[in-house]
Amino acid sequence: MNVRGLALALLSFTGMIDSLYLSLKRDPGSIPCHITKGCNDVLTSAYSELAGIPISWFGFVFYITVFTCAVFALFGSNQLLKWLLWPALAAFVISMGLVGVQAFVLQAFCEYCLASAALMTAIFVLVLRSPKAAANTI
Amino acid sequence: MSNMAKPILVIAIAVVLAGGAAFYLTRSTEPEASATSDSSAGGAPAIGPGHTRGPADAPITLIEFGDYQCPSCRAYHPVVAEVLKRYPDKVRLEFHHYPLIQIHAHAMTASMAVEAAGEQGKYWEMNDLVFELQPEWAQSQNPETEFLTMASRLGLDQNKFMQSMRSLELQDRVLKDVVAARQGNIEAVPTFFLNGKQIQPRLAVDDFVKIIEAELQAIGAAGAAK
Repeated sequence: MNVRGLALALLSFTGMIDSLYLSLKRDPGSIPCHITKGCNDVLTSAYSELAGIPISWFGFVFYITVFTCAVFALFGSNQLLKWLLWPALAAFVISMGLVGVQAFVLQAFCEYCLASAALMTAIFVLVLRSPKAAANTI
Repeated sequence: MSNMAKPILVIAIAVVLAGGAAFYLTRSTEPEASATSDSSAGGAPAIGPGHTRGPADAPITLIEFGDYQCPSCRAYHPVVAEVLKRYPDKVRLEFHHYPLIQIHAHAMTASMAVEAAGEQGKYWEMNDLVFELQPEWAQSQNPETEFLTMASRLGLDQNKFMQSMRSLELQDRVLKDVVAARQGNIEAVPTFFLNGKQIQPRLAVDDFVKIIEAELQAIGAAGAAK
């Protein structure tokens, strides 16, 4: 059983729901915060878009990429997981940057964005942990 | 090729499931109009009268704390306008400024522009115009020029308008609203209060109507949406 592949698939599937929810809900209207304060402040800020595209859509593309690689790994093509290292690193760095923006620039937190940052961190740790081992289990 | 078929099928099913779940969540997390109009929601912050639109003796006062650069406030603007049209005798809108300057760099200038227009009796006309043209001035490096053009479009005295834009008295008026919003723990814009109770209507006229009808019934006034 490829535990790492399964964990990556579950994490990225959760991320797909989170990022799709933000992308669909965002246009336009209020996004309720249950734990944190300031979802709307974060999601309507200038940092929520890149070239006019909501960054949640970029998150969705990342998660679907991870999910695809993880599913192929579960079906025996483990080498695809190696390709995730740089995208996972980029996603981790960007998500940490966005957490910093929430904390120090906007001073408002969006729980869905924090959840996504946590998922990206977990994905990065899983991808980073044993890339060689992943390649050797083919 | 058959080796590829199974993973691709799993991925396709997962994408559909994720899409369905996300869509379901967007529907289920929308607050029900009736559930949020109860008194358990927060009360309106203590504040002096803002700019009002509608009859002074209207049985319902709808208070809005808004930010002119906030896309959600812009989205709610035509909905609120339609509500006022439907209840011309029963609903009065009271607008208060809550420019979130940390995320909306030009929000304060926009509030000042609307107040400046108000000094020449065109507060609501400017309010409408500023919301309508938000995508243009919000992207501008120098929105004052855009506001000056709007003032000119409304036939305002431009010198007087620019003087008012820099008026400390008007700035104080806006900041009083901001202080009230912060003291009232208002966390987002737009935030609405109906007869003192916080409401969370969805972006739909029908949601406002539902809440207003319930309030009219509660206070014993006959609802007459036109």
